[in-house]
Amino acid sequence: MKQEKGLKLGQFVLGNSVIHQLDPRTKIIGCFIVIFSVLMNFKWYVILLNISIIIAAIFLSRVKIARVLRGLRKLKFLFLLSFIFQAVLTSGEPVFYLGGVSVTREGIDLGTSTIFRLLILYLGSSLLTMTTSPLKLASGIESLLSPLHYLKIPVSQFSILISTALRFIPTIIEEAEIITRAQRSRGAQFNSPHIFTRLKSFTAVLVPLLAASLQRASDLAAAMESRCYTGGSSRIRTGSLRFKEKDGLAIGLVSLAFVLSVVLI
Amino acid sequence: MPVIDVQNLTHVYLPGTPYEKKALDGVTLSVNQGEFLGVVGANGSGKSTMIQHFNGLLSPTAGKVTICGWDTAVKQHRNELWKKVGLVFQYPEQQLFEATVFDDVSYGPRNLGLSSPDIERRTIEALKKVGLEPDTVAGLSPICLSGGLRRRVAIAGVLAMKPEILVLDEPTAGLDPLGKEMILKLIKKLQQEDHITIVMVSHSIREIILLAGRVAVLEKGRLIAFGNIKEVLRQECFQALPGVMLPDYLQLIYTLAGRGKNVNTGIITLAEAELEIAKLLEEKNK
Repeated sequence: MKQEKGLKLGQFVLGNSVIHQLDPRTKIIGCFIVIFSVLMNFKWYVILLNISIIIAAIFLSRVKIARVLRGLRKLKFLFLLSFIFQAVLTSGEPVFYLGGVSVTREGIDLGTSTIFRLLILYLGSSLLTMTTSPLKLASGIESLLSPLHYLKIPVSQFSILISTALRFIPTIIEEAEIITRAQRSRGAQFNSPHIFTRLKSFTAVLVPLLAASLQRASDLAAAMESRCYTGGSSRIRTGSLRFKEKDGLAIGLVSLAFVLSVVLI
Repeated sequence: MPVIDVQNLTHVYLPGTPYEKKALDGVTLSVNQGEFLGVVGANGSGKSTMIQHFNGLLSPTAGKVTICGWDTAVKQHRNELWKKVGLVFQYPEQQLFEATVFDDVSYGPRNLGLSSPDIERRTIEALKKVGLEPDTVAGLSPICLSGGLRRRVAIAGVLAMKPEILVLDEPTAGLDPLGKEMILKLIKKLQQEDHITIVMVSHSIREIILLAGRVAVLEKGRLIAFGNIKEVLRQECFQALPGVMLPDYLQLIYTLAGRGKNVNTGIITLAEAELEIAKLLEEKNK
């Protein structure tokens, strides 16, 4: 099984680096700013600027770069396909012909920058989840969304939704692994060359997994209600979030890069 | 020739990551055909990791595991091993997925590629073995059965494949006393009548004492005791293990022996303990 060979894609790794210590809101905002700036402007120097910010952040977070890059292997087809489509379908000055289709210079440029933009998207978001614990991530999201409260949007319920979902992802993955093994020892063919056999094997995992999840959801709901959970905004978190100097500095740097990116259009 | 031969088995989870964990460390043991091996140890001692090596779900980080003459380091062997070794996981009732009991129990035989009369015969046989009446339960959905019955259906699903070796991970956990008794009797019968080699993981020393011939004791991934149940029970290192709860009568006998009383510490059953105590009282009255 793939999962047991290494960590899951973007799994949180406990650490004590500067990046780990940043307020989750800083990291979320920073991540969005970087992603927005490359989505708005795809000149090569904008991409270079933002990619160096991310690389610096990865370096500061002391997360092993090899681990971050390993996840990229799963995305290689996405990269390849988007490059090919951009290269072939963009009209402009043809560079060469490939089996009757013209590949344009503009297409190649656009394709290359798309790859880098996807790369930044991937690196930014996985750095965020690798250095922020699910709990902090959820409280960060809640705090950032809290203004929506004035629009009568139930932010606190939404946030409990996110934090429970995040909380149960590892549990469900673990359970899926156990059921997969159990079915494998009953002869389920997960690597069968026949697609039908393979699909049928997966139902042997999905059905019990879904049943267990529904059961767990109803148990959890009962457990929460029996401890007086009523929803609504009366719930508070232990340990509220606070911006520190570091956060100001980080936001400042990223915003500066953003302004540069936008001004340089 | 042993059917399970484990040489210096070491298993490391997630090597090279911050979550690296050595679950097994240099374990060596062997199980003979038709034997009943009990595996004891606290949570996290590596029991479940070890038994997953027995049917090729895991492959050794170091060392060698040979099952029925097959080296599990060879991928092809590993993929075929489920036909020889039936593995009943903890809470196996959670793996039921088909619409009817019959379909679920026959899942393994169907994967073996048997003919339909064969599949039906084996399924009915397996249901009978676990004490279920095929005519009444076969058409039911597993979801409408109680937890104990569902556990039996899941065990039947493994038995229907007619494994040479049956490995069970805490088969009685979470069952009521009657259910426990039923499962234990079933396992013992499989060993005695069908001559299946059995490996059973359990937290309950009592269960192991009643059933197993030999016992392996794991502590933090190391095998600290392995051998005949009577010998292992007497070992100090075993008795001193945190979390080992010996049955009351054994505690009594060992304490008496510790105080220098003349009792035989080589006993394992309650009846034997009774005899010893009666003997001791007689001596005193003389």
